[in-house]
Amino acid sequence: VKTNELIENAMKDIIGTSVLQVGAREKVLGAAQYVADMKVSGMLEGKVLRSTHPHARIVDIDTSRARALRGVKAVVTGADTPEHLFGFLHKEYRILAAGKVRYAGEEVAAVAAINDEIAMDALDLIRVEYEPLPAVFDPEEALRTGAPEVHEGTGNLAREIRISRGDVEEGFARSVAVHEATYDMPYQYHGYMEPMGTIASMDASGRLTIWAPTQSVFFTRQIVAEALGIPQTNVRVIQTVIGGAFGGKLTEDMNTPLTAFLALKTRRPVRILNNRLEDFLAARSSMPARVTLKMGLARDGEILAKDSIVIADNGAYNNLTLEQVLVTAFRTDSLHRLKNVRAHARLAYTNKIPSGTFRAFGTQQMAFPVDSHLTMLAEMIGMDPVDVHLRNAIRTGETSVHGWYMGSCGLSECLEKSRDGIGWTQKHGRRLGTATRKRGVGIGSGIHVTANRQIADWDGSTILLKVNLDGRITLTTGESDLGQGSNTVLSQICAKEMGIPVDHVTVNMPDTDTAPISFGSVASRVTILAGNAVIQASREARKKLLDVAGQKLETSPDDLTIEDGRIHVMGVPDMGMTMGDAARAAMFRAGGEGILVKATYDAPTTMADKKTYFGNVAPAYSFAATTAEVEVDTETGQVLLLDCFVADDCGKALNPLAVEGQVHGATAQGIGWALYENFEFEDGRLVNGNFADYTMATADSLPMLRDAIVESIEPNGPYGAKGASETAMVSVAGAIGNAVYDAVGVRITSLPITPPKVLAALKRKAEVDKQHGADARETPDA
Amino acid sequence: MRDFELLRPESAAEASQMLHRHGEESRLLAGGTALLLALRQRLLSPPYVVYLGGVRGLDKISFVEGEGLRIGALTRIADVADHPLVRKHCPMLASMAGQVANPQVRSMATLGGNLCYGDPASDPPTCLIALGASVQVTGTGGDRVIALEDFFTDYYETALAPADIVTEIRVPAFANDASGLYSRFVKTRAEHRPLVGVAIVVRHEGAACRWRRRAVGASTPIPGRLPRAETFLRGKEVSAAVLEEMADIAADEARPVSDFRGTEEFRRDMIRVVVRRLAADVFGIETH
Repeated sequence: VKTNELIENAMKDIIGTSVLQVGAREKVLGAAQYVADMKVSGMLEGKVLRSTHPHARIVDIDTSRARALRGVKAVVTGADTPEHLFGFLHKEYRILAAGKVRYAGEEVAAVAAINDEIAMDALDLIRVEYEPLPAVFDPEEALRTGAPEVHEGTGNLAREIRISRGDVEEGFARSVAVHEATYDMPYQYHGYMEPMGTIASMDASGRLTIWAPTQSVFFTRQIVAEALGIPQTNVRVIQTVIGGAFGGKLTEDMNTPLTAFLALKTRRPVRILNNRLEDFLAARSSMPARVTLKMGLARDGEILAKDSIVIADNGAYNNLTLEQVLVTAFRTDSLHRLKNVRAHARLAYTNKIPSGTFRAFGTQQMAFPVDSHLTMLAEMIGMDPVDVHLRNAIRTGETSVHGWYMGSCGLSECLEKSRDGIGWTQKHGRRLGTATRKRGVGIGSGIHVTANRQIADWDGSTILLKVNLDGRITLTTGESDLGQGSNTVLSQICAKEMGIPVDHVTVNMPDTDTAPISFGSVASRVTILAGNAVIQASREARKKLLDVAGQKLETSPDDLTIEDGRIHVMGVPDMGMTMGDAARAAMFRAGGEGILVKATYDAPTTMADKKTYFGNVAPAYSFAATTAEVEVDTETGQVLLLDCFVADDCGKALNPLAVEGQVHGATAQGIGWALYENFEFEDGRLVNGNFADYTMATADSLPMLRDAIVESIEPNGPYGAKGASETAMVSVAGAIGNAVYDAVGVRITSLPITPPKVLAALKRKAEVDKQHGADARETPDA
Repeated sequence: MRDFELLRPESAAEASQMLHRHGEESRLLAGGTALLLALRQRLLSPPYVVYLGGVRGLDKISFVEGEGLRIGALTRIADVADHPLVRKHCPMLASMAGQVANPQVRSMATLGGNLCYGDPASDPPTCLIALGASVQVTGTGGDRVIALEDFFTDYYETALAPADIVTEIRVPAFANDASGLYSRFVKTRAEHRPLVGVAIVVRHEGAACRWRRRAVGASTPIPGRLPRAETFLRGKEVSAAVLEEMADIAADEARPVSDFRGTEEFRRDMIRVVVRRLAADVFGIETH
């Protein structure tokens, strides 16, 4: 799509056409001001000393030489930080490690100096004496009796969940095919272009201002206030332009609290910018998990029972992983018309980097196992895997086993579109290719919530709409545009409702002093919640403008309309006035006022039952299906991704360009997780925490991504829309794993699917084939 | 990155004198793709950086009849890939250069800088050893030529003395009956550093191999030749079976390292496959 076309679209019907992203031009021209570009007068640079041990008692820290260095304004250690524990959900953090360190990379000391170089020199002068403690790295080992404890008295168990519905044993008894296997899913680093950074400044009255690329200014405010022990209202958080987040700039890492603490200590503005190597250690990467899954199928493909055991790796500290492990345990169940499900999930502490929130929020950790399973089970009963998916796919109007009501569901259409898009029937089971390069196709499916009544019994959004005196609009929101395009979509909605061009709407950068209290950009919630609030606010503002214009034009407001930013009598374009005229008329009269509208939308959902997790938590659920075609080199184990087709049910694509951007981005991230990315640890230390050795998907390593947008029109959504940013991530890895299986008959159960794993599995398969004189499809993974 | 003084010599000899004067306190800067990373991470903090960019004539490529290619040490890898003389007289070298790392690195890194850095996970050393290349060196002890086969001594270490500067890479001309290919193996397309690099140069005598030189790199601390595999093939009528056996010998005699990028076993397996496939391409033989 060309830029001119995008601008023209913006002038036409703005809903459902591709509109250029708000802020895109600044980013492309290098003019956007990120926190790394900002300078505050008198600002110091902060640097962090990190633990080199995965588990050790801090015997002594000598900071005397660092303090003595010219240009150093503060050197702080855990002993200097407040003693109370804090955290978003669970209180167990200190701003700096005190007493002991729990992972290699943990913040041990920090320096504020007049520049970066001096701050780094000072770090080199700090001497830390450690007494190494026995460490535990594997979550399963961590849960065994007698394992070293990361947090004393916990048994390393951070959370345990049991869910049971229907009768799983009875379901298995009736099944004609039962399959059980264990899957391993690794860490994944968000890999946003902008590493995390914060500027904090405290004024003479003790009021703190924070600038940070946060997904939620109010969560950040809550965490910082709690960490420092000051009232929330005394902390002002202003969001800066975000260079990507993907769940990684939310509540959990220590960059912002530590910067705030240094500002408090020095009474000067302080900035801490993670460099890339630090960011690998400091960020809360995606939660690793081991899933043992057992599923049973009826002759006709119906899933009769699903039983899973999840052991997830929390790393050294709690985060929103406490909630993610629940998602892993049960979210994918709502993809299918299941009756009998059971899950036992445990989240274990280990002496590794704390894991945390990541796009798709724990769903993908169960989707890869389930998608792998469905292909294996389909083969066992002699059915096409796509047909097994279709046989079980949940549909519009149905309620899932966990009480999730599907007001709209395009899953079946997604499955069909992705099947046809890849050319499934000509390719599946054919083993096309050459003697040493075999081709195969595979399918996976995904679900995600659109918003989620989980944090509290409110899942809404409040919008302030101001009509300026030139008739243009300013929207004030606490919801964050982290690159996904929410400011663009909110502008489109407002423009559509008010009858004005999209560039007559400006969305404010979230600022806790001025924005309505909000949760920010999590759980694909902004378009549906803030979007509905913008519709309400816009309609009210429009009514106020038309009322005033009706008085001025001496006609009924019902006879008036707004077109292209101008109010006029319907059918008589010459009889009218500008929006600015109406806005001024509303204010400049005795008892008048500027038009300022507030509107709130709270989703019609319920919190899940605390014990059983039953309840319709989201106003809408999004779906996706992905098919992949791979070519496997049987001599090297290399997997070449030839093609990838994603069908995404986002309800209604308000801005198709943005939806495609999100779908492609999520798919690329899913491909990275499936094929390329992994944390390599040696003795608990991350050894590939850099972009040379941690290989994210590059342009070279992706096929031309293809997609279809499925519009199931969600009754709760603004114009039928629901979330579109996370779902595609869920369905990718299963599609690729199944394509590898289709190509060469080996089942890889641990991600990423690397050449050494494929080659080893092919060798084992060759042995088995030799013994049995046949092509044995199923080969256990190492 | 710590502050340093940037020295700008106008000749290689002057650069060498600067390195000699400042010794361990100085580092040589060419394309900067390796040195700047080390400086930014403070792995190195030299007070003096000697920048070769102002030295004229070190980025020229010429071909001397009967002798071969002369490639100035400051030639960018991308220019090696694109240069008509290299493409004409040594397509194997041009093709290798076009695959190094990624476009950004190829546009900045120099061929001389690549060799002097001695990174084991790199392509040019392996390819140039198989080509029988040498480097022209200027130093405080005068000028000399070092065969690349003797140039690499260990991980990130070379035979250069502290004030030595590589000024030129010399690649012998191909005989009329010779051909050669280089192959880099990356595990996935998301990786930019080769796990295995194999180069083969042979002289054909009908269907037989009269003479051959081969090198394996990227998996070993320093790239090296594989004499047993070379001897095995000499004078043999080449067939798929012969190449298979030769690849087994090559895999057996290579001494790959083991690290998180690849175990010794996997690297050995890949050496076997890459050697066989590459040799088949060189000899134009169909294998499975």
